[in-house]
Amino acid sequence: MAHGYHGKILHVDLTKGKFLVEEPGESFYRKYLGGSALAMHYLLRDMPANADPLGPDNILVFALSVVTGAAISGQSRLTAAAKSPLTGAIGDSQGGGFFPAELKFAGFDALVIKGKSPKPVYIWIKDGQYELRDASHLWGSITGEVEKAIRTELEDKKIEVLQIGPAGEKAVRFAGIFSNSNRANGRTGMGAVMGSKNLKAVAVRGKNRPSIADKSRLTKLAKWGTENLDESDIAGLAKFGTNETTGANQATGTLPAYNYNSGVFEGWEKIDGPTMYDTVLRGAAEGNQDRVGRDTCYACAVRCKRVVEINNGPYQVDPYYGGPEYETTSTFGNYCAIDDLAAICKANEICNKYGLDTISCGATISWAFEAFNEGKLTLDDTDGLDLSWGNADSMVKLTEKIALREGFGDILAEGSERAAKQIGRGTEAYLITFKGQEAPAHMPRVKRSLALVYAANPFGADHQSHEHDPVIEDDFEYYTERLGVMGFTERTETRSLSPEKIRFTVASQRLYSAMDSLTICQFVFGSSWQLYGPEDIVELVQSVTGWEDFSYADIEKVGERRINMMRAFNAREGIDRKQDLVPEKLFKPLKGGVSDGWKLDKAEFGSALDKYYELSGWEIASGLPTPAKLKELELEWVADLI
Amino acid sequence: MDIQVELFSILRDKLPPELKGKTSLHLNEGATLEDLLQELGISRKVVISVNEVQVTDHSRKLVNGEKVMIFSAVGGG
Repeated sequence: MAHGYHGKILHVDLTKGKFLVEEPGESFYRKYLGGSALAMHYLLRDMPANADPLGPDNILVFALSVVTGAAISGQSRLTAAAKSPLTGAIGDSQGGGFFPAELKFAGFDALVIKGKSPKPVYIWIKDGQYELRDASHLWGSITGEVEKAIRTELEDKKIEVLQIGPAGEKAVRFAGIFSNSNRANGRTGMGAVMGSKNLKAVAVRGKNRPSIADKSRLTKLAKWGTENLDESDIAGLAKFGTNETTGANQATGTLPAYNYNSGVFEGWEKIDGPTMYDTVLRGAAEGNQDRVGRDTCYACAVRCKRVVEINNGPYQVDPYYGGPEYETTSTFGNYCAIDDLAAICKANEICNKYGLDTISCGATISWAFEAFNEGKLTLDDTDGLDLSWGNADSMVKLTEKIALREGFGDILAEGSERAAKQIGRGTEAYLITFKGQEAPAHMPRVKRSLALVYAANPFGADHQSHEHDPVIEDDFEYYTERLGVMGFTERTETRSLSPEKIRFTVASQRLYSAMDSLTICQFVFGSSWQLYGPEDIVELVQSVTGWEDFSYADIEKVGERRINMMRAFNAREGIDRKQDLVPEKLFKPLKGGVSDGWKLDKAEFGSALDKYYELSGWEIASGLPTPAKLKELELEWVADLI
Repeated sequence: MDIQVELFSILRDKLPPELKGKTSLHLNEGATLEDLLQELGISRKVVISVNEVQVTDHSRKLVNGEKVMIFSAVGGG
């Protein structure tokens, strides 16, 4: 008997309006666990090579895991994966909230969506039943309105809705997919794929909870987390949100500013987590923000999500649309040299209403800011918007223009790399893209392993694909026990790309790859500083599924399997080592503050990439998985595809 | 000697709430960063800046009038 999952995958053919339920056996779930690895199985198996990412041949997978919906913090997350219209490579994004658990309770472990509907539709799933419903009346509406309309027409306030906004409908290449109108599967343009299929939303409701193999064991693990949260390293993250990290990043010179030209920003304290907590969180004026200014995901005790409410001034913000994460305050803030917290919160609200990835959106705007400040763009290009560093009003206006593809916003809606190609004039020099995706707010010139992972990651720059350098550098002594589980017993030199650092990069990338397949939160579970460590992940899977022989080696194997499947997907699209590049900007020195003068070295990076491929078991010349590696991972069928 | 101290994030709770993490502390001459951390009751992983420069060596001796910023931080995202 299956525990933790239903053993049911719902296939939806939007062209034909047909559904099919597939019931894979336990060996399938053991092999992939769910989430991203499971999605890769279907994308490789069912999608033809060289499919148009915005055409009917692209396949969009929403996948949960064997532990989604279990009563413990950090498990209610969902993978959205397809071929990316931003990068042309594999696309992958992770998001949390209440939708993932509710989809599980509605009766399915994953949705595999192909084709294109002749008219706008949404999928309605309740207790194992499913149907397509007309969404013509919802097309063009913002997320909050759609969520409310679906709950009203289906007469159930507890329905959870996953949807695109107008940006996804208009194929903004970095449009995301949203639930709760404020939780994003943001990266790699999955919202544009959904929009291209005329699929506006997925609505779910259910009471069909899978059994748990050992409830008392799971409860013990969950209770331990709740009891130890306040003394853990994520206590600050819980109270002040991901923006708690702004100050430490400033102190270490890793806060990207002025479009990645500096690692420090003079206005950081105006936009950090404590300032947000003290000023704009709902309830801050009454000192009640811990109760009404923090939100959570299903069954999660951490409550790290921000709820911002601003009722006066030029940038009023509706708490329905949540509040900005660190990535968002960075891209709209320090990337653009903007220290106006209300304006940043407004840009975040616009992204959540219209359905945009805040990282690519803010970073694309910061690229335009640098081009303007260097005289490569003029007011004639920007619809009269003054993009001087720090101009908050122009940043907010540009965000809305991108969402609606208006004027200059229509060019930026293609992403910064395509915009630079279209505009030319040397603006390519200002790009911070990897495989066409804009870099998140963690600094590779200081945390060197980020350069490797941003470059080699199959879906472009991503800060959540491995554990960052400090854990194996200055912070090592705090985490020796957990890192020992992963096979690491010595610290490495600061700012190094030593063989041991690269070995840690590969190993932690496999762990994080498996966590994106288990669809678990990387603040709650992880290698070191998180609430739970590697052995706790094993305990979680064992207690939910009853797989008593499940071990950390299985986690490593699934993580490696997923990465190799992604590399194989890219190989089929003609993407290999030649695309594992670092933007030229990162080989130039940072300016100012503690990281002044720090830069990447081309020779060192090239050698490190060789070592990374070697440790991955890939061909060094091409960076592709070998047939032997794929066989070792029980992926012989994938070897036949490339 | 007197040291200006600024505590961020969850570390603010080490001081009375009205101070919002900012205070001046009197320490004995020759006191180190480790002594300061002990005085404040901080044992968790932190990032420290002294006069806007990151310092990882907690045995570093402090000098009268210096400004010490102490951050609690994790990965972010």
